[in-house]
Amino acid sequence: MTDVATTATGPAEEPRRPSIRRLVAATEIDLRLFGMVAALIGMLLVFGIITGGRILSASNLVTMSVQAASVAIIATGMVIIIVSRNIDLSVGSIVGVTAMTYAMLMTGTGILTDLLGRGHPLTWVIALAIGLSVGALIGALQGFIVAYVGVPSFIVTLGGLLAFRGVVWIMSGGAGVAGLDLTFQILGGGPQGSIGGTLSWVVGIIVCVGIVGLLAYSRRQRRKFGFPVRPVWAEWLLGVVGCAVTLGLVFIANSYLWPPALAERFAQEHGITIPPGGLRIESGIPWPILLLVIVALVMSFIANRRRFGRYIYAIGGNPEAAELAGINTRATVMKAFILMGVLCALSGAIAAARLNAASLDVGRGYELYVIAATVIGGTSLAGGIGTIPGAILGALVMATLAYGLQYIGLSSPVQDIAAGFVLIVAVGLDSWNRRRAG
Amino acid sequence: MNPRRAASLLPVLAIVLAACQPAASESPTGGESPAGGGGSAEGCLVGVSWNNYQQERWAKADEPAMQAVIEAAGGEYTKTDANDSEEQQITDIDSLINQEVDVLIVLAKSTTSILPAVDAAEEAGIPMIGYDRLIARESVFYITFDNQGVGTAMAEHMLAAVPTGNYVVIKGHVDDPNADFLRDGMDLGGLQDAVDAGDVTIVYEEYTDGWQTEVAQTNMETALQENNNEVDAVLSENDSMAIGVVAALADQGLDGVVPVSGQDGDAANLNNVARGLQLVDVWKDAFGLGQTAGHVAVQMCQGVEYADLKAPDDLGDHVAPEAGVDAQTFDADGTSVWSITLKPTPITQENLDLPIDLGWIEKDVACDGAEADVAACQ
Repeated sequence: MTDVATTATGPAEEPRRPSIRRLVAATEIDLRLFGMVAALIGMLLVFGIITGGRILSASNLVTMSVQAASVAIIATGMVIIIVSRNIDLSVGSIVGVTAMTYAMLMTGTGILTDLLGRGHPLTWVIALAIGLSVGALIGALQGFIVAYVGVPSFIVTLGGLLAFRGVVWIMSGGAGVAGLDLTFQILGGGPQGSIGGTLSWVVGIIVCVGIVGLLAYSRRQRRKFGFPVRPVWAEWLLGVVGCAVTLGLVFIANSYLWPPALAERFAQEHGITIPPGGLRIESGIPWPILLLVIVALVMSFIANRRRFGRYIYAIGGNPEAAELAGINTRATVMKAFILMGVLCALSGAIAAARLNAASLDVGRGYELYVIAATVIGGTSLAGGIGTIPGAILGALVMATLAYGLQYIGLSSPVQDIAAGFVLIVAVGLDSWNRRRAG
Repeated sequence: MNPRRAASLLPVLAIVLAACQPAASESPTGGESPAGGGGSAEGCLVGVSWNNYQQERWAKADEPAMQAVIEAAGGEYTKTDANDSEEQQITDIDSLINQEVDVLIVLAKSTTSILPAVDAAEEAGIPMIGYDRLIARESVFYITFDNQGVGTAMAEHMLAAVPTGNYVVIKGHVDDPNADFLRDGMDLGGLQDAVDAGDVTIVYEEYTDGWQTEVAQTNMETALQENNNEVDAVLSENDSMAIGVVAALADQGLDGVVPVSGQDGDAANLNNVARGLQLVDVWKDAFGLGQTAGHVAVQMCQGVEYADLKAPDDLGDHVAPEAGVDAQTFDADGTSVWSITLKPTPITQENLDLPIDLGWIEKDVACDGAEADVAACQ
């Protein structure tokens, strides 16, 4: 959906100005998303020019998106929370607690290792299940206090931000824990945590077929119920562009080859002779990105197609009306917090797997990045408005900016200034645009 | 505050006392003081103002070592915890003064906001020890580790292992003076000379927001990307950042290939030393620091002048001050204070037995997954 807009700029530039609008209208692309994709591409181009193209290498792009994944996954949940007229400041601390949970279960002297023995194939599944449950429990606790006790979510989760960071300290006795299960580490990405070239093509083709299938299905449904349909050329354009972008991204991921040192070690361990010119192993799509794509699809489905999602938007639009219409607003809000807790736990798994450790400060400051990403992505802090793809794009914009500024060697205070500036400009432009439109 | 300084430790108290304080645990109450102090400190009350006692380190290492020496000499020990608050610490010190302590030991949260309390103690004529953190007053005796020496030890070990090549320097938080202090120490340890001689090129050097593991990881990923993985050594200023560095190296198959430094003696990092993923972990033995403070407090009880105070004779060789047991002058931004500066201990695979034997870390934690040839883990 977001990728669709990416290359739509290409053909759109040829005809004269007014027809861009007509094209956008015909394809029913969200203008805001379109603008954000354009901004993202613009930013990449600027950094590309500054670094002489080096930052646009496959390995850089993959690293950059993996760095965005943890925040993006939580941002999809934050959309739901903010749309329901709540806020969750405790996300970073929930990430910390769950990351510490995984680490303490799986490290060499951890509980699961004691019970099952080192390297047991079920270790990571059990640990993940426990971690996700811990996230859900924390979410349920906070959601209950917000929805049923009636304490404002700002206060409850501000308390959670402090309290759960304290829990991390007490769990660990004030020290980081390192050395996780080998299978679990795959969740963290990197060449060994990617699905490989062939599988990546399979995933790409499935997504491609999915896009075409969805377009065809929605056209049939619209016709059946007498809704207006897009012109045929617009359907074709969306399908072709969507497929091209998907396969293009897979191509980029696949052109990131295993680093020579890693490939050599792999060859030695598996008794493979290294061919002249080195071993070529395609990394493919990293697991964190695959998880992000799955989360994005599931969350979009929940937000747009499930009763729960529609209730959330109804509550955000007008809580009293929603209540009067018979929506159980309390249960709905509590569910939103549980969902958020689970997403934080998933993000915590990625962070812990990436570090192969849980330090005391895993997730610290996430709340700010997540809320910034969500708001840049067009979610209104007043509630009722916001989209999942927007929040993910927002996270990508933030991560690209941070990575780019860091890559060209700007110091961290300057990076902070730039990030703050972009946040205000992005939201400012958005509200200006909305006023003008509306 | 400063979670980064949260030393990780899993000490066994019995071993601690046995290893650190043989004299203390054996000497009868009211008899000879532990070593070299001369005479007892019967009835002397020593008050300690901890800044953040909730960090495991203080309760498990510093305090018992300190307390053992004081009580062995017949003194009494009392403490307060400021719970990481500057205001609370000032109140704490006032209350210790009101309890008429004979010696005051202060682990200051802030080296400046503590000064009003220091003035009050000074007026009450109470001798003071600045423990682990500098208080720039002549009235405060300073007991610490050679922090610059930590950077020096890192650089020396790294240059011995990798005399030439591309170096990455992962520094601490930008406005923490300690980050630059450590960096200066690296230069003293031969890094500057190696750069000048053209042997070493520093290909990436960056501060790390809040000394955070995740930030160090992303910075290290950038360092590798920018240099096509052509990195031969990484000088990380502490242990929590070293974890992030090793994770970034592992993604490129370079863990255990590119040596990494660290400091603090965190359990995970000592384990990484055993696994061959970290070359050196510079450890500041908190038992030794506590023992020294206890010993100095006992001498203060007996009215020994600051200039004549001595470190214990029976300090382990790994921490014994290089300048000898006598107090030295220490220049703190123009104020000259009396001080005893202990030596930090670089831990490598060769001497990993030291923190294990002293009870800083349990053997099975340190040795989990250790390389086959690590003697300490046999």
